[in-house]
Amino acid sequence: MNKLIDLDTKVSDIVVHYPATVTVLNRFGIRLGVGDKTVGKICEEHHINACFFSAILNTFINKDYFPEKILDGFSAKEIVDYLRKTNSYYEHYQLPNIERHFQFLIGKSRPQNNNLELMLKFFHEMKQELLNRIAYDREYRFPELLSQATGNSFERDNDEQDTIEDKIDDLISMIVIHLQGDYDANLGYAVLIAIISLKKDITQNNRIRNRIMRPMHHAMLQQN
Amino acid sequence: MKRCTIFMIDDLQAMGMQQLLNASFDIQALIVHSIDDLYMVADIDIVFTDAITFTTHLKYFLPRQSRTIIITPQAVKGDSSVNIIHYSSIEELKASLIKFFQHEPVTTSGTSTLLSQREIDVLRLVVSGHINKEIADVLNISINTVLTHRKNITTKLGIKSVSGLSFYAMMNGIIAPQ
Repeated sequence: MNKLIDLDTKVSDIVVHYPATVTVLNRFGIRLGVGDKTVGKICEEHHINACFFSAILNTFINKDYFPEKILDGFSAKEIVDYLRKTNSYYEHYQLPNIERHFQFLIGKSRPQNNNLELMLKFFHEMKQELLNRIAYDREYRFPELLSQATGNSFERDNDEQDTIEDKIDDLISMIVIHLQGDYDANLGYAVLIAIISLKKDITQNNRIRNRIMRPMHHAMLQQN
Repeated sequence: MKRCTIFMIDDLQAMGMQQLLNASFDIQALIVHSIDDLYMVADIDIVFTDAITFTTHLKYFLPRQSRTIIITPQAVKGDSSVNIIHYSSIEELKASLIKFFQHEPVTTSGTSTLLSQREIDVLRLVVSGHINKEIADVLNISINTVLTHRKNITTKLGIKSVSGLSFYAMMNGIIAPQ
């Protein structure tokens, strides 16, 4: 499935080819059991802007895709709602899930394996940075975008994203390359897979932030 | 064959250790009498030392923690990342060494083979917050050489953030855990 997603694409085909899009559907309130409905049909049923929905999916899946006509196609409220749900997913599901698996892993490992505890400490550092970005979104960026205000909250965006992604990459390397000592292999894999899943989601959603949210803010500034 | 070196404050203890390694494990260990001599020995797999020597020369031993074994007659509570063999008799020491060599906790995938000594020196300065110019001055090398070392460190370790490198350094005894 290499072509772009449009209103006639079957939703089931999207999920089968790109399983990570389940999280995107979830943020739009679309649950599994989609039948053979197309993007157009499912958006109609859920009262979703199909243009916005397909732009999000295409940006999420395709690293070379840049949506056009951002201001004409959809509203600030739509992108803010989507990113709020994304942040909430990190804050209330993915981060606690990784932490829980990490705690199980440490609990089942030999007490001498202090490498894992240092890795957990590093995870906490990365987690705090992600939570800081989420708080900053909530307090400054999203209100600025919704009110079309001309603040400087977007200038901070790029620096932080790189740091968070770099740290997640480093954490993955620490586990894959440098993990030593006795540990429960299955729990080790579970931690690794949960971190890789978070990394993938953050990378894909950073594209949405950089290619939809930021250009929208820029276009608003130019209109004002 | 393990390349073992013995550096202990007590010459008699060092010679006893050398005999034990030779007789029981067929290991020809080298005894050194000063830290300068120890620095001169290349390609050491394991250094046997005692607690006093270890704490006196932390600068040498901390980066090589995974390759260091402290032999001590007293039970010691301490950092679990340090290899400590406690004994109350020669038989007990021999048994602990047999167990040690069987389990081989001294890793060959750790700092020893991944980073060169110079890269470890650069890494220690990077995670201590030094900028490239300062590192070049301290190590008496050019900034370009510092940049090359940093690039090699990141390539070898797969870690690029300073924070990630700090945790790696703590995990491998290159700096003390905070």
